[in-house]
Amino acid sequence: MTTFFVTWLATIPQLAVPYALAALGLILSERAGVLNLTAEGLMLVGALASVAVLLTFRPDPLVAMMAGMLAAAAVSVLFSFLVIVLRVNQVIAGLVIVFFCQGLTSLLGNLFGWTSKAFSGLGPVSLGVLADIPVIGPILFRQDVIVYLMIPIVFGVSYLLQRTRLGLRLRAVGESPEAADAMGVSVSMTRFLAVTAGSALVGLAGAYIAVANVKVWIDDMTSGRGWIAIALVIFARWNPWRAAAGALLFGSIQAVIPKLAAAGIVLPQYLLMTTPYLATLGVMIWVSIRHLNGPSDEPGALGQPYVREERR
Amino acid sequence: MRDDVSDATRRASPIDTAGNAVIAKAHAAGRQRRFGQISIEVRRSASFPLRLFALAAALVTGLGLSAFALILVGVPAESLADEFVSATILDPMNFKAVLVQAAPLILVGLAAAMAFRVRFWNLGIEGQMIFGGVGATLVSLLHLGPEWARLPLMGLAAVTCGALWASIPALLKLRLSVNEIISTLLLNYVAYYVLLHLLYGAWKDEDGFPHSPAYAASELLPNLDSGVSVSLVLAGGMTLLMTYLVARSRAGFYMRFVSANPGVARALGLPVANMVLFVVLVSGSLAALAGFVVSSGQEGRLTQSFFPGYGVSGVLIGFLARNNPVAAAVVALLMSVLVIAGQNLQVFYGIPPSMVQLIQAVVVMSVAASDFLVIHRVHWIRYRA
Amino acid sequence: MTHSLLELERVSKAFDGFQALDGASFSAAAGEIHALLGENGAGKSTLMNICCGLYTPDSGSLRLAGRETRLSGPREAAALGIGMVHQHFKLVRPFSILDNVLLSRLGSGDRIASAKGERLAMRAAIHEQAAALGGTLDPDARIDSLSIAEQQRVEVIKALIAGARILILDEPTAVLTDQEAEKLMLTLRRLASSGTTVVLVTHKLMDVKRFADRVTILRGGRTVGSIDPKGTALEELTRLTVGETLPTVRETQPVFGRRRLETLGLSVRRADGTKAVDAVSFHVRAGEIYAIAGVSGNGQSELTEVLMGLRRAGSGSVQFEDAGEAVTAADPARLRRYGVAFIPADRYRYALAGGLSVAENYGVGDVARGRYGSWLWLRRGRLRKNAEEALSSFDVQGVRALSQKAALLSGGNAQKLVIAREFSDPPSIIVAQSPSRGLDARATAAVHARLQASARNGAAVLLVSEDLDEAMKLAHRIGVMAGGKLVGEFTAPFDRQQIGGAMVGHA
Repeated sequence: MTTFFVTWLATIPQLAVPYALAALGLILSERAGVLNLTAEGLMLVGALASVAVLLTFRPDPLVAMMAGMLAAAAVSVLFSFLVIVLRVNQVIAGLVIVFFCQGLTSLLGNLFGWTSKAFSGLGPVSLGVLADIPVIGPILFRQDVIVYLMIPIVFGVSYLLQRTRLGLRLRAVGESPEAADAMGVSVSMTRFLAVTAGSALVGLAGAYIAVANVKVWIDDMTSGRGWIAIALVIFARWNPWRAAAGALLFGSIQAVIPKLAAAGIVLPQYLLMTTPYLATLGVMIWVSIRHLNGPSDEPGALGQPYVREERR
Repeated sequence: MRDDVSDATRRASPIDTAGNAVIAKAHAAGRQRRFGQISIEVRRSASFPLRLFALAAALVTGLGLSAFALILVGVPAESLADEFVSATILDPMNFKAVLVQAAPLILVGLAAAMAFRVRFWNLGIEGQMIFGGVGATLVSLLHLGPEWARLPLMGLAAVTCGALWASIPALLKLRLSVNEIISTLLLNYVAYYVLLHLLYGAWKDEDGFPHSPAYAASELLPNLDSGVSVSLVLAGGMTLLMTYLVARSRAGFYMRFVSANPGVARALGLPVANMVLFVVLVSGSLAALAGFVVSSGQEGRLTQSFFPGYGVSGVLIGFLARNNPVAAAVVALLMSVLVIAGQNLQVFYGIPPSMVQLIQAVVVMSVAASDFLVIHRVHWIRYRA
Repeated sequence: MTHSLLELERVSKAFDGFQALDGASFSAAAGEIHALLGENGAGKSTLMNICCGLYTPDSGSLRLAGRETRLSGPREAAALGIGMVHQHFKLVRPFSILDNVLLSRLGSGDRIASAKGERLAMRAAIHEQAAALGGTLDPDARIDSLSIAEQQRVEVIKALIAGARILILDEPTAVLTDQEAEKLMLTLRRLASSGTTVVLVTHKLMDVKRFADRVTILRGGRTVGSIDPKGTALEELTRLTVGETLPTVRETQPVFGRRRLETLGLSVRRADGTKAVDAVSFHVRAGEIYAIAGVSGNGQSELTEVLMGLRRAGSGSVQFEDAGEAVTAADPARLRRYGVAFIPADRYRYALAGGLSVAENYGVGDVARGRYGSWLWLRRGRLRKNAEEALSSFDVQGVRALSQKAALLSGGNAQKLVIAREFSDPPSIIVAQSPSRGLDARATAAVHARLQASARNGAAVLLVSEDLDEAMKLAHRIGVMAGGKLVGEFTAPFDRQQIGGAMVGHA
């Protein structure tokens, strides 16, 4: 039984990382008022780009993941152009971008033959003596670099939002673009920066799935994790630390499924696969019931395009 | 300027003590060298020619970009027109394929268009299709009813299952304000695994493959004497029914208010929640019918891959058609041409099917972008010399 | 007189075909309080939004201290010493005062790192400015916890800290009680005497008479004149603003009928548990106009929402004569069956779907009553015909076609459209919330005449208005709301001082 728990707990961090990264990226974008449904697509872009770089140039996996970040940020510029400059409905634009990314990644993976090619990917780094501590060692100190980096990343995003002038500006644009504009903050530029930076994190989430979790590229390999991350943001009430906690929760749900089967517990295999999605739905319902009589902390201008010279 | 002004300013504001200096600095910064600037305003209304122009420009741009991409992946430029026009519409075999393909596309397009009319983002079309297929197959497996009534029963079962599945996100939204974008998407995955559970379990065919046993002959949607599939007739009928519902019934009148401004509709005492529920059930039923049409009209059994892509296609059709049922049918037909052309390209040039998806996305992006011109007035304000 | 600090010359600005400004000119000298007077829609706000860099003029010039200037945006305007307090405050509500002030200073020197020193300096600056204006403000207080008057003070302080030498206030007294307005004006006078130019945008003649050194009058996007208000008669100012004087109708004392609408101990709680409406009881009789007066935000909108069926009452009840029983929560559909009509202030939030046609907006009530066919078939021809008749009998102008969007109507005509619909089945109870807000004098007179006529015909009219003049002109009785309570009830003829006192709690 102990081994069951140790192996289960040890896999949680790496399954939680993609959720956490994607949710953080979405928080950046949504705190600036841009409803970002592109995550599922940008994660695919991040995943494919990192795999492509890894298979082509065989660099350090971390370098490949950087490429994934860059690619996702680049595609997000298209999204930003649609919603910030052209003020296209943010839901439609987000969905189209997801569809576009699914098509693009599938097409490129197919054309260049990157699909289903295995590679070694990102491995764990044991932290010396710490890794040898029984039970705790394997769970906490035999993880990969990104897992260790998660704490500074979450801290960084939180600090950026709450303690810096840029964060103040970003939140102002998301809460009340009219007020921010009248105070001389460039709504478009701030939103653009927020979406681009956020999308880089979402891209990293996708790259991590490909390079560290699955270690292969297949079409649509994110299998809905982008949508779960969007739900996670609502659950976290747009707060980075709560998002990280939520990511651990979802990571543990995802980690337990294969472990149960390995432990010899016979359950209907495919119905078991629905648990992450049903759990997400359950969380959404729980959040909604809690918020029926109170504030949801949603950014005031989320999803609303801003035009200065509007007159009715 | 009087000197005491800057003195007074200094007293009034402890931080910024710059008086005239600020003005002088800004002037010196060469601000005056600009010739003018862009001004963007929201239009009060857009003329019909402008709308038409914007749409045409968008289609030209979108299709141009797509053609460029196709050439890039190896389709000879000179045969593009051939592949997309002559080989699809003019070739009888392919034209028939276009019509067969159009039926489910029309149905999912209607499903999306209707849901959007009450501001419900139904992204769960694929899940509802799955349950439509499951419902129809259940009737087939249980041999319910006499043979002549089998197809109508299958359709009815499909609609019931699809509507029930769609009622989950609808009720969650109406009762608990759970965001339907997320809930419908998540339920798609749930529906998919339920399908796999059935196909790998109780409903597995004797041949060992994960699909249901083939439908009997009486359970397949036939062709009419003219060669047109009953599926298409069904889709056409639904288009007319939805047009009536939208344009001529009181429900349609209410829907317009719910869509234009739910708050106003509520304050006016219109049954907003009931309208949303009703329309989402209709939307789920239409999606389920699409699942039934694909299963019974094309595949002949319940498979594990009869639905992918229809969900987004439906949403895109609904969007391009501006939620108008007749327009949705037209767009679906064009989309069907694109799909069949894509299949031909795959056969002759080895272009992956995802290319079609990419083209759809690019065209929709162009059209969405062109709305900017319809909604906004952009003009250049020139400074006097 | 020295030359002007702020000068606008022949400025024009159109919004997609709507000419908001048509060659308007304006000039203000340093150290004066200069009023910009005009009716709603005269172009005052547009002109001032050009001054503060939010709008770009189509033509015309702006001179600051004699130098021609082009503003690329609010940031540059602020840097040049122009500060504006908008009618709808440009404050980020969930932020603290300090954060709002910091935000407004981001234009100068963008650094990503937090500047602890600057926070300290700003904190001190807020205290200092608040004291200079005669009061205190806690820099860490959230904007949404402040009263309207305090938020306005934050706006003024924000502008001053940014170095404003020209302070523009758009309709600052519209949201204040007489007493608060008086206090604000003292503050502004103090600023002016220390050299700041104060531009006061208003449509209230009394503000001009009482506080301004000079007044420029706008009408239809053009400057009508610039005069000294002290030496000008009120009638003359009115004539310049409106164009012609409007006759006022005097009512004879009517006889009231039975109680049509009555609330008993009605209470409504906000999300945070505090009481927005606190045990309010009043009644309106047939033929009577009963006004609820008070400064905005004292529970009137919550009360109205309960009466509109959009909000549940926490305790207490509402009695509608036609309902026969006391109800705590009635949905809008039921209220309409009781013969209740609504004329809300926020038309595009509660009454009109701007994106739908005039005919649809007119007919929606009757469609719901089943007057245009059953669920299965909508008699659109008949609807259009009736709509056409109603539009002409209610004098709704500016309708080029019945299929025209309601959003394209001017405020006055949109309100007339609402009235045409609500009165298509003569109502027994009318709930009107600031029905003339945003309307010009002519449209206001028309709306008032409609309300008075239906009261004469036996309807019970509840008028919820923040405009005390409107309440005093129309009502037979006035109830004053303050802090959610009904603190006083007055019967015509009214004493303005007394009612004003009740509004701020000195009843």
